[in-house]
Amino acid sequence: QLTPSSFLRIGHLSNVDLNEDIHELQTELPRQRPNEIPHNEKLLSLKYESLDYDNSENQLFLEEERRINHAAFRTVEIKRWVICAMIGILTGLVACFIDIVVENLAGLKYRVVKDNIDKFTAKGGLSFSLLLWATLNASVVMVGSVIVAFIEPVAAGSGIPQIKCYLNGVKIPHVVRLKTLVIKVCGVILSVVGGLAVGKEGPMIHSGAVIAAGISQGRSTSLKRDFKIFEYFRRDTEKRDFVSAGAAAGVSAAFGAPVGGVLFSLEEGASFWNQFLTWRIFFASMISTFTLNSVLSVYHGNAWDLSNPGLINFGRFDSEKMGYTIQEIPIFIFMGVVGGILGALFNALNYWLTMFRIRYIHRPCLQVVEAMLVAAVTATVGFVMIYCSRDCQPIQGSSVAYPLQLFCADGEYNSMATAFFNTPEKSVVNLFHDPPGSYNPMTLGMFTLMYFFLACWTYGLTVSAGVFIPSLLIGAAWGRLFGISLSYLTKGSIWADPGKYALMGAAAQLGGIVRMTLSLTVIMMEATSNVTYGFPIMLVLMTAKIVGDYFVEGLYDMHIQLQSVPFLHWEAPVTSHSLTAREVMSTPVTCLRRIERVGTVVDILSDTSSNHNGFPVVESNPDTTQVAGLRGLILRSQLIVLLKHKVFVERANLSLVQRRLKLKDFRDAYPRFPPIQSIHVSQDERECMIDLSEFMNPSPYTVPQEASLPRVFKLFRALGLRHLVVVDNRNEVVGMVTRKDLARYRLGKEGLEELSLAQT
Amino acid sequence: MAPPRCCQRVLLLVLVLALLGSATAAAAQEEPRWAPALEAAEGLAEELWGAGLPGDLPELEPECRSLLAAFAEGSAALTGCLGRRARPVRLCQGCHEHYGRLLALYGSIARAVGNSSESHNCAKSILTSDRLQIVVTLSEFFNETWEAANCANCLKNNSEGLSNSTEEFLDLFNKSLTCFEHNLQVQTVDLSPNNYTEVCRNCNETYTKLNDLYNNLQRMNRQGGESGHSAHLCIDVEDAMNISRKLWSRTFNCSLPCSDTVPVIAVSSFILFLPIVFYLSSFLHSKQKKRILILPKRIQSNASLVNIQEKYS
Repeated sequence: QLTPSSFLRIGHLSNVDLNEDIHELQTELPRQRPNEIPHNEKLLSLKYESLDYDNSENQLFLEEERRINHAAFRTVEIKRWVICAMIGILTGLVACFIDIVVENLAGLKYRVVKDNIDKFTAKGGLSFSLLLWATLNASVVMVGSVIVAFIEPVAAGSGIPQIKCYLNGVKIPHVVRLKTLVIKVCGVILSVVGGLAVGKEGPMIHSGAVIAAGISQGRSTSLKRDFKIFEYFRRDTEKRDFVSAGAAAGVSAAFGAPVGGVLFSLEEGASFWNQFLTWRIFFASMISTFTLNSVLSVYHGNAWDLSNPGLINFGRFDSEKMGYTIQEIPIFIFMGVVGGILGALFNALNYWLTMFRIRYIHRPCLQVVEAMLVAAVTATVGFVMIYCSRDCQPIQGSSVAYPLQLFCADGEYNSMATAFFNTPEKSVVNLFHDPPGSYNPMTLGMFTLMYFFLACWTYGLTVSAGVFIPSLLIGAAWGRLFGISLSYLTKGSIWADPGKYALMGAAAQLGGIVRMTLSLTVIMMEATSNVTYGFPIMLVLMTAKIVGDYFVEGLYDMHIQLQSVPFLHWEAPVTSHSLTAREVMSTPVTCLRRIERVGTVVDILSDTSSNHNGFPVVESNPDTTQVAGLRGLILRSQLIVLLKHKVFVERANLSLVQRRLKLKDFRDAYPRFPPIQSIHVSQDERECMIDLSEFMNPSPYTVPQEASLPRVFKLFRALGLRHLVVVDNRNEVVGMVTRKDLARYRLGKEGLEELSLAQT
Repeated sequence: MAPPRCCQRVLLLVLVLALLGSATAAAAQEEPRWAPALEAAEGLAEELWGAGLPGDLPELEPECRSLLAAFAEGSAALTGCLGRRARPVRLCQGCHEHYGRLLALYGSIARAVGNSSESHNCAKSILTSDRLQIVVTLSEFFNETWEAANCANCLKNNSEGLSNSTEEFLDLFNKSLTCFEHNLQVQTVDLSPNNYTEVCRNCNETYTKLNDLYNNLQRMNRQGGESGHSAHLCIDVEDAMNISRKLWSRTFNCSLPCSDTVPVIAVSSFILFLPIVFYLSSFLHSKQKKRILILPKRIQSNASLVNIQEKYS
């Protein structure tokens, strides 16, 4: 239905988002037919779009800026702080809610199972207890998995990869919706209560981010409520800043680590950064920790004692008793190496598993069944380990929440049960702080082995759950084992407190899996309220990261890649200088004239094969044979708003009283612009003309064809662009560089690789 | 500063001697020996007091002296009691009277602080006039011991005598001990020294009652004692329970045998088998998800292809 004159064809064909009609593909590139391949890591999915971080400085924007005076801008700044405070408060409250509900539900479950086990130990018939435990776990996890798989699949996992992508500038569908938040929170509660090898800390980051995105917009499209506040912030740039604050608030609530939260946001999340933003993020983090502390202090009965730490409390290490000496440094470094290797192994196993899941277990019902099976097996493994363990410890003076006696002597409990028969957070704290001799090496060894595989198997299931706590738990177990063997080898030398090595092992394992250094060091320091161990923790984490990176990349990056997200790293691949913009760009580009026929615009927008989002605007030269220079860039969303309000040249002449379109009209439609199909344009109106010069961005960023890939990349990445127009020396549009054009070059094992684009 | 130091030394001497005396007495289990030691110490103190300048110890009134002496005596008695009852632990049952008396004495020394009348500043002169403050240290030590033993838990609220539940528990404890003894005697007659099945069977009822009572006490304690109270029962009860549990589980080996191995293995291997079935079936039957490749539209430059293919090869 597109007539050749409906849009300009310039030089080599060009096109923004690379979709073309299939018949066109066949005519132009007959040798390469579109083919189907199994999912693999070297793909970029088309379903992800970019966010617009570049401000469109059109006429309307300038007018608004002129209208708002200086004082008004100051209120905008104040509003930013208010929003950050609200983000902190709400994130803290959500963390409290999760914490309290998990504590109560898990307590209930463990009490029921414990009573049952006690009963059947005396009477015989422990297999019923096993069945009860497995069924309880599986049914709770089933609910958690059903809501994630059927209602909001994006809530699966820890959410950190998704938030990382969002902050990088990739629009992941549904990632910051209220519905996602609700599912995430419920899902996390259910999966922790269901006894999976998961933690509730990772999802807090996602929750914080959703809260931030919601509050900063002053409305919820899920609830269809608009509070008519904070309208100034309804655009991607502002929202992104708040989301990074929300992620920081989430970390800070999860670990009681405000500084760690800010650094996490800096290291893992934010791809864009400035000092003022840092201040606001820090503010949100602090408020979040404060809220959590106050609410939990009231809940625990000692109101206004604000020293109550975050969701996970690693407990305090007594620094007098547990100092360290210079001789231990090589030992710590060795532990870092072990952590790096084990982390790499974890990631590699999880990689294969995830690939299998994407390829074969993609139907929601199968995903639910898988989650249930994992829950049942986790319970079974725990039960069998406890059943087989003969490691009994005196009950008196230990802090076991649910002591299982089983076949131990009266007054003793099964030591394996402290590790398996408990929520993972509690087990970590036990491993850090139980006095030496609470676990025998055999127990720890078996536990490490089993939990390693369970945790690896669990991550990537369709439940919302984090990987922080399981990693810490694995690390704490082998760290403690290491400490015990060390003291055995050195015949009880002074520096052999197993708790200290448990902490280092936990740090090493977590560092080996997620590959964070700076933020993790600070988080561990803050969560243990201990600065003394700062240096060893840093050493351990650095070693673990270096060793781990030698084998495979971090878990989050791996999952981002497996999901085919066009993620832009800090730098372009190092060996890519020989590639120029001419080879990178996609072409031909669909251009619009400055004064364009409405019908043409509608046709271009409703062309299903091309979901382009940005259109270069060229001089509306009536002479189509002569190519015209670039005048500006207009976005799909802007065009839709224009069509919706019928801002046509003829109508403007017709009725002079017609209200002029303001920037507010564009913001009101953000972030979910109506699809073109919902806009009705009559046959008469199709003949009207539309003047884009007032609405387009008159100064889009451009690069010449000869610019090298790293140069283009730097411009694109640093400014957070969505469209970068490639022009020749006569300022004519030759191509367009978008995120996917840049993200497909990657440094692989054999050098520069090019990823393929795929429909997913 | 000489006179106070002298005074200090005297006090110290008194108390140290008292303690020493009591300690040796406790070790030797001979009651009469500590009294002479104390007397000797007091005699020494008197001697020094007499020899010193009259203005040297102006603050220590006679009343205070008698209070101090009483405190010394009381603490010696308590120390002796504690030491003698260390094993098997009977602290709370046996020493609560001593402790109560000492507490009262300390109270009357300390209470004088409020009465600022000149004759009643014993608290100042005894408790706070030197660096060591031995009386305070001693009383703190006793308090801490008492707290750690958690004796308040098995005494009545007014600290007079054991509480009803504790009495009941100790009764039952004695009953089970008797039962153990009785059955063991029977057994030794039967010429099977290592087989305690008789004890296990016959005393099961009493022992289970004892165990249940203990668990009940513990539960009640945990529920009632949220505010500041530790979760422990008093040491006497705990120790008694420990002894009987050790006898029951370790010596007689009556704890539950490992049972149900076959059904547990069957059920767990069934559950562990399920994922294998699941993954195999989904691998075989589920349709593999295919991605449709989309060919990008761009200038096919030979340079770039060469560049990338070079890297591949």
